[in-house]
This record gives sequence, C-alpha cells and structure tokens, in this order.
Amino acid sequence: MSKNKEAKKPSKASRFKTPEVVFLDGLSNQQSSKYRLAQGFGVLFAVSLVLQAWALANVFSDMALHQSFSLSLLVIGLFAILLRALANFGRERICTSASRDIRYGLRRKLVSHLTELGPARLRIDEDAALSTRVYEQVDALDDFFSRYKPQVFMVTLIPCVILLSVVSISWIAFFVFMLTAPLVIVFMIFVGHKAAQANRRQFSVLAMLSNQFMDLSQGLAELKRLSRTDEARDRLSYSAESYQKTTMGVLVLAFLSTATLELFASLSIAMIALYLGLGLIESLPWQQGSSPVTLTQAMFLLLLAPEFYLPLRQLGNDYHAKQKAEAAATDLLEILNTVQSTAKASAPDSNLSADINKQAFLSLRQVGWLESGRHRLAPISLDVFKGERVWLSGESGVGKSSLLHLLLGFEEAYQGEFYIEGRPFSERNLAEWRTKLAWLPQSPEWVNGSIKRNLLLGIEAPSDDVLQEALRKSQCDDFIQALPNGLETSLTELGSGLSGGQMQRLSIARALLSQADVWLLDEPCSGLDTETANAVLNTLNQVSKGKTLLIVSHDTHPILWADKHWSLNKGGLHEKNNQTIA
Amino acid sequence: MKKTTKLSLKQLLFANPWGFVVPVVLGVVASLSGVALLGVSGWFISAAGLATSVGMGLFFNYLTPGAIVRGLSIFRTAGRYGEQVSSHNHLLGLLKTLRLWVWDQRVAKDSANLYEQSRGDLLQRLVSDLDQIIRWPLVVFLPWIYALLSYTVVALFAYFILPALLWPMAVAALLHLVVVPYACGRVASHAVHVGQILGVHRRSRFVSLFSALVTLTIRGHWKDYAKRLGQLDQRQLHTELLVQNAVSTGRLLAYIITMGLIVSSFYLVSSIEPETGKWVLLEGVQGTWMVGFILSLLAVHELVLPLVQSFVAQGQSYVGLRRLNQLYEAPKDSEKRFSTNSKNDINHMSFEHWRGFHASSGMGNAPIDLTIQSGDKVWLRGLSGSGKSTLLASMAGDCLVSGDAVINGVKCDLYDNAAYQQHISYLPQFPYIFQQSIAANLRMGQADASEEALWSVLEAVALADWVRSLPNALETLLSSQGRNLSGGQRKRLALARLLLRKAPVLLLDEPFDGLDKATIETICKSLQNDYKPDILVLVSHIDSRLGDDCQVVDLS
Repeated sequence: MSKNKEAKKPSKASRFKTPEVVFLDGLSNQQSSKYRLAQGFGVLFAVSLVLQAWALANVFSDMALHQSFSLSLLVIGLFAILLRALANFGRERICTSASRDIRYGLRRKLVSHLTELGPARLRIDEDAALSTRVYEQVDALDDFFSRYKPQVFMVTLIPCVILLSVVSISWIAFFVFMLTAPLVIVFMIFVGHKAAQANRRQFSVLAMLSNQFMDLSQGLAELKRLSRTDEARDRLSYSAESYQKTTMGVLVLAFLSTATLELFASLSIAMIALYLGLGLIESLPWQQGSSPVTLTQAMFLLLLAPEFYLPLRQLGNDYHAKQKAEAAATDLLEILNTVQSTAKASAPDSNLSADINKQAFLSLRQVGWLESGRHRLAPISLDVFKGERVWLSGESGVGKSSLLHLLLGFEEAYQGEFYIEGRPFSERNLAEWRTKLAWLPQSPEWVNGSIKRNLLLGIEAPSDDVLQEALRKSQCDDFIQALPNGLETSLTELGSGLSGGQMQRLSIARALLSQADVWLLDEPCSGLDTETANAVLNTLNQVSKGKTLLIVSHDTHPILWADKHWSLNKGGLHEKNNQTIA
Repeated sequence: MKKTTKLSLKQLLFANPWGFVVPVVLGVVASLSGVALLGVSGWFISAAGLATSVGMGLFFNYLTPGAIVRGLSIFRTAGRYGEQVSSHNHLLGLLKTLRLWVWDQRVAKDSANLYEQSRGDLLQRLVSDLDQIIRWPLVVFLPWIYALLSYTVVALFAYFILPALLWPMAVAALLHLVVVPYACGRVASHAVHVGQILGVHRRSRFVSLFSALVTLTIRGHWKDYAKRLGQLDQRQLHTELLVQNAVSTGRLLAYIITMGLIVSSFYLVSSIEPETGKWVLLEGVQGTWMVGFILSLLAVHELVLPLVQSFVAQGQSYVGLRRLNQLYEAPKDSEKRFSTNSKNDINHMSFEHWRGFHASSGMGNAPIDLTIQSGDKVWLRGLSGSGKSTLLASMAGDCLVSGDAVINGVKCDLYDNAAYQQHISYLPQFPYIFQQSIAANLRMGQADASEEALWSVLEAVALADWVRSLPNALETLLSSQGRNLSGGQRKRLALARLLLRKAPVLLLDEPFDGLDKATIETICKSLQNDYKPDILVLVSHIDSRLGDDCQVVDLS
C-alpha cells in the first residue's frame, strides 16, 4: 500500500493523470449532458448575479443621494435575486441527480462484477469489507460529483463574467481583480496541497485508531479473563489523545493557509471599498478633486467584489471532497481491476485434444494458468472417472483452490484442454453443469436465516422424509433435535452456538439434499481440531460413496478413504499411492 | 470517569463546556464581523458619495470608516481561523470521549453476549455513527447560533433606522431560523431514518448473500437474489432523493423569505409620491443607512442558507445517537464478588449438577458433580460434541450455567465474575492474539514482567527459538488476530501469557492440538515443574505425560 502511494507521487508531479483521476473523469463523462445543463444554469446564475448587482447599485445610489428609488429597478433587482435562487435550485437538483445516477450505476456495476468474480473476490477482501466499499466508498464520491465537479466550472465562469462587466467601469478595480485572482489561485493550489497532506495523514491515523479499537474489542473476552480491560482503556485514551495532538498540529497549519487565502480575499474587498470611498470624496492621492467612478458604479463594484472570490473559497472548502473521492476511487478500482479472465481460453491444441480421454468424466490436459507471468497453476493433466474420489494435497499457493474455481466455472482464462464427459468445457452450458455441483468450502456458505432455509437454499423443497434422511446420514439429527427451535433455529453471522464440526455437517446435509453428483470440497477440515476433523471426514466417507468427489486437504488431514491421492506443487501434479500413507 | 449514562445531544454540548465556548465566541465574532463588513462598507461608500454630491467631500472623515472596514475584515478572517482550529480541537476531544464510552459499554457486556454485533456492524457504529454525532455541535448548533445573533444585531440596527422594520425582521427571523429548517428537517427526518435502516439492512443482505454466492450461483438462483439487492438499493435511492429535495426546496424558500423581507422593508421605509410616481424615503430615514441595512441583510442571508442542511444533519445525528445507544448497558445493580476473602487462593472447588451451555443454542454438557482440591489434576475426556469445552468455559465463568459452584466452601456465581476470574487462567480453544508486539502480548499476563521472565516463559512453551529467529525478537509486531502465526504458535503464545499470570487455577482447552511430540513434552515438563499450577483442568484428546497422572473424568 505504502509503496503504491510512493509510486503515485512522481507520476503526479510529471502531470500524468493518475488512474483515479481517469476513473473519476470517465464516470462524470457518463453524465456529461446533465453537467452541461448544470453549466447552463451556472451561466444563468452568473448573469443574474451581475443584473442583481447593477439594479441594486442603482437603487442604493438613488436612495443615498436623493432619498428615493425607482420601483422598476428594485423589481428588476428582486427578479434577479429570484432568478439566481431558481438557477441555484436547478443546478443543485441536476448535479445531485447526476451524482446519484453515477453512484447507483457504479454500484450495480460493482455488484455484478463481484458476482462474476465468484470466489476470487476474496482475493480483494472479506465480504464485510467489500460491502463497505460497495456502499460507503461509492457514497463517498457524492460530494465530488455533486459539488466539486460543477464548482470547477463556476470557478472559471463567475470571475470571468465579473471581470467582463467591470472592465468598462473601472480600470483600477479590473486590475485589482486581475492581479489578485492568480494570487488567490496560487494560494489555492498551495492550500489544496497542504490540505491534501493533512487529510491523507488524518485518514490513515484514524484508520489506525479504528483498527486498534477493533483489535482490542475483538479480544475483549481475553482481556476480561486477564483483567486487563482498564489498561486497554488507558491505551485507547492515550492514543486518542496523541491523535488529537498530532492532528491539531497538522490542522493548525492547514487552516492557517486557508485563513491566509481568506484574509487575502477580505483585504482586497476592503481595498476596493477604500479606493471607491476615497475616489468618491475625490481624495485619491493621484486624482484629487475628481471622482473616477460615480456612486452607482462604486456600489456595483462593491456588490460584485465578494462574489468574485466566493466561488474560489467554496472550491477551497470542497477540496476535501476531491481527496475523499480519490481515496475511495483507489479502493473501487481495486475491485474493478481484479479481472476474472484476461483472455479466453487459447485456441484448441489438436495435439492435446487428441490426448483427451473421452471415457473419463473429467479430463484435463496441460491445464494451467499464467497470471502476470506467474503460474497460478502449473500445467497439469489428469483424468477423473465417474464415481471416483480424489484427494488433492499440496502447499498453499500452488493453485489447489484455483483448480476448484475453474471447475465451478468462475475462471475462464486457463490454458490447455479441459473436457467434461468427452466434451470441451467451453461448449457446455454452464448453468446446467453447475446444477451437478455441490460446493463445500473451508467456512461453509450461509445466509441469514433458519437452518432449514439454509439447507434448502436454491433447491425445491423436498419431502420431510428426504430431509430427515439427509440429516441422519450427515449426523446432524442429534444436535438439531437438541436445539430448542430445531430446524427453525437461525444461523446468524456469528455465535449460533454450533461448533465448526456441526456447521460442516450441515453443509454435508445440504450437499446431500441438492442431489449433486460432483462434490468439490476446499479444505473442509482446516478450522477443526483433529478429533472433530476425523469425525467429519468419516461422515463424508460414508455419504459420498458413489459421488465424484474432489477434495482439497492438507497432509495434516489425510483423506485415507480417497481412491486417488494427487499432490500438487509448483512443478505440476504427482500421483501418490494413498495406501502407503495409510 | 466511568460514564454509565445514555448519550444525548445535550450531553455532547456540555461534555466539555470550555472547549465549546471558545469556538462559539470566535465564530460569533467572525460572523458578526462578516455582516458588519458588508453593512459598514455599503454605508461608507454611499455616505462618501453623498458627501461629495453636497460639496462636503473634503471634510468627510474617511479615516475612521476605512479603518473599521479593514479591522472588520481582519476580525472576520482571524475569527474564522480561530473557530476552525478550536472547534476541531473540541471535536477530537469529543471523539475520544465517545470512543471511551463505547469501550465502557463493551466492557460492561457479559461474556456470553459479547459478540452480539458482527465486526462490520460495530465498525460502522464506531466510524460513521460517531462521525455523524460529533459533527452535531459544529454543523447544527453553531451555524444556528451565528444566524440568530446576526439577526439580532441587524435588528438593533433596523430599530435605529425605523422601529417598524422590526416587524418584518421578526417574522423573517422566525421563518428563517425556526419554521423552514424545522419543516425541512421534519420532512427529511423520516427519509433519513428510513435510509439509515435500509442502509443497515442492505449491508447485512449484501454480506449474507455474498457469503453464499457460490452456492446460489450453482443453484441458478443468484439473479433473483441479486435483483432483490438491487431493489433495496433503489429504495435507498428514493430516500436519498427525498432528503436532497427537502434541502434544495428549503434553500429556495430561504431565498424567497429574504426577498420578502427586502420588499417589505422597502415598503415600510418609503411612500409613493403621486406627482413623480417615485418612491420616496420617509422623513428621518437616512438613505445611506438604508443601504447599509440592506447589504447586511444580504450578509445574514448567506449565514441562514446552510441552516436547512444542518437540520437534516440533525436527523442523521439522532439516528447515529440512537444506534450508539443500542450499545448501552445498564449498570449492574449488584456487583458480583468472589465472596471469600479475595486474597485467599482457591484451594477447593466443588460443582454440583453443574451444566454449562451456550445462550443461543442451549447446547452444553450433561450435568455433572465434580470436586477439585488444591494439588489436583483433572483430565476431562469425551467424544466430540460431549460438551467438554463448554464445561471448561463454564468453570472459567465464560458461559451460562445451571447448578451450583462452591469455591473455598462458599457458594458463588462464577459467570462473568471478575473477582473470581482473577484467580484462574483459562486457555480457550481459539485464544485471541492482539495486534501488538510479542512482548506486549505476553505482558498482558503480567504487566511488569522482566525480559528474563518473558524469555523463560517462552522457553517453557518452546517458542523461544522461534522468537530468537525473528529479526525484531520480542518486539516483533504480530498481525491482526495473529494471522502470521500458525495455530500452534498462537496457542502457545496465549499459554505463555497465561503462565506469566501465575494464577493458582489453570484451565486448558486442547493445548496440544497441532503440536509435535517434542513440543508437547517440553510444555508438559514446564507445567509439572516451574509453572506448576495448584489446580489443573485439562481438555485434550491427545495423550501426554501431563495426562498420565491426572484424574480422568469421562463425559460421554
């Protein structure tokens, strides 16, 4: 992560667009018509701004000089204010709607992308953290699209319009604006840079604080047993205090630069006011005895002066929106860039195809895949016959799980030839193939709901006898009967009181109910102690007879009843004699 | 300062009154200077223009107003800066207070219900809810105070121009400060609440569905489920739309009120002259003052605009507050105490009809009678699922029980009894390793343990060689939940931490799982010699030297 950030800095300096900026630009281009409409409203806003200033300046000067005013000018002025309010209203509505469309569209895209990734999504993060990205991080883009993005246009538009309307009235005011605007912009960049640094630092420290809290909170039971909760509280208190100190150190500087900018704007308004005042009483050092502007013109300038700097100051306030959006974009890009397949399977190799064993249920020839030059799975060849039970072992990272994902149909970028029942995998109907499968991963897949709902997830409800039979075979009946609510007990995300072994038994029951004849198991025993694991494996042995079964398991949990034992390593697949180990 | 009350917004305001007063005062100075800046400069210029037109230009005192204008602009900037700095300082202080509040509530929860909230849920409460709450004084309260005070000051000014002006001022202030923000807040608050609930619902649906993604895909039902997830998102979009509409409409209304105020002010201070058809100011009303007044009204308008949004933010704060208060634990009426003199070590434990069980499933061991005396070693055995671990946890006071426990001849309630737990050391099946250094993890057992003590205890659990091989040795930082340790290492580290406590009673749940013969041998030797407890209760399915001289209790 830190490396990543370092790498980004020089690219920013050399004015290349970072992937985040490209990503955000691409998203906002989706709504370019809305943004154009918003710009139209922006123009209306700017015009009504000038109109308002002109009309009110006339009313004011009449009032000051003649104690009276023209009703029509007042009406024009008020009409301009109304126009301004309406333009603002329209602009706001359009920008928020553009932001909504972008965010909800992006969210749909992310969800469907994660769906396609299947088990590979866990390479990015765990599900809870992914949900934060899909919801919170996408919403973190809101301010950027609804405020910052349109504001960038206003920042160029409004000062230009004001300069144009001022140039014919007073050269001096025009030059004051002209000279201060670039200075303000220079300050802006400076401030933005500072604020960005402060923000980034604050974000990372805050994340660290949350992390510390979560760590202590997760281990709270342990802390209570050790009677160390007060010490932990002190630790939290101490780190919150030191966070406060360091953050304030940064913020004092960051705000100081914002304040300098504000002061700058304020002082130039005051300067113009003073110049106008002195000019009106004909006491300018260089122009005594005559006034460079009339009172109406002076009023007009005075009313426009704060408006000239306002958009810049707003942009400065919204700058954090950009920071936030870029930080979120980094996380979102990580999801979108995790691709399931870069290229479809290579053209069929006739040599390999010829070698395929058409009698076998599964036949793989030189199947493997390269990802960025690294073998995620070394090319392997194997045949699995119907009803055969195969134990696949090997160190972590050699691609055992990837092989299972391939069989599940979630990985398509493999090389080599892969046949099922004598037909190429790519020609098979994926949905139909998947109905034959049962999937038992390391931690069983559960949705929120009752045990029954989970057992029948996605299948037609079977008769009660069938259900009881499955529970009996998987040895779930005893402990389910002991539950006060039986099958209706809900399996919540945490702490249902069922042990890991019982959970695995439930997933065996589910596999039995689904009538699948190909079972894929990914380290079903890795979280269990040896005794429980052996008991679960025994059950598996009894219920899986006659099924085609592929089980990934470490040597620590040997599958002694398997028909074949294959050991996978970086070099490829080696068949071992299962009986010698037994 | 142990906070045992529920949180309220008022409490937030007064959590640190002095820390809050500083930003309020500075913010008021800045806002009033901003209003005055526009008003004074308007008056200054029009007065200057007037003076010249009546030939008095050279006698016009321009120095004082000029200085005031400059002074005000400096005040405004400095005030704004001071407000930003001090309010953020205050905010960070609040963050600390609230975090500790959450921690206290977590600690007050009893062991069986400790992990009611999922990790994601707790994190959400900790991050986004806290964020919404601490912003309350800054986003909601302060802007309202600024707007109110500027209205008051401008009203004073209006009184000097023409007392009748107070009427439209009062009406506009009421509408601006109370009616419109309240109405918009009301309209939006329902949507905010619904949105928040939907948000939580949507997240749990997401996590739940994705955790069963492969099964659902295999069964061909993913599309239906994904569609329902999408529908939830659509409903969320709808609430968001409602909130945003309320805010934009509120802003539009604020504009219209300002316009109404300006129109009625003009109407009140002038009358139509029938001959010329011009509106003329009433006798005694200074045109220059009127200019200043209208300009300061425009400045007040800028302060009023954000109020609508802030009342919507208030709805969010309330929701955040309510969610945080769900963590609230009422203080326990009676402190459970380990009844005998706490200094006495436990030398006699007897359990009658003792049955430990889990709160949610009610599963546990069959009731047993068991008496353990100082010097005893007990080995609990039984088939998988016979409730050995639950029994051990209940003896450690970690899970719910039925039956009686008599410790040192006195009947007492073990569950969640901190005083009792000080005398025992319990190694659960999956002990927790903190994301701290090895030394810090060990010192949780004994805060003042010397480095030699740490090494010797590591030696006792056969981890010393491994620690020595690490580049940072004892100072090596362990990753989250000890993920960079193997299961066996994690367990041995936790055991070492327990041994440092030197508690008289040691309860071990499967300490040897996943360890090789030699390591088991080393640990047994330590537990029989240097780190020998008075009472040892062991759950293990692995034969060891330690088990050989144990009294065996078979649960099946």
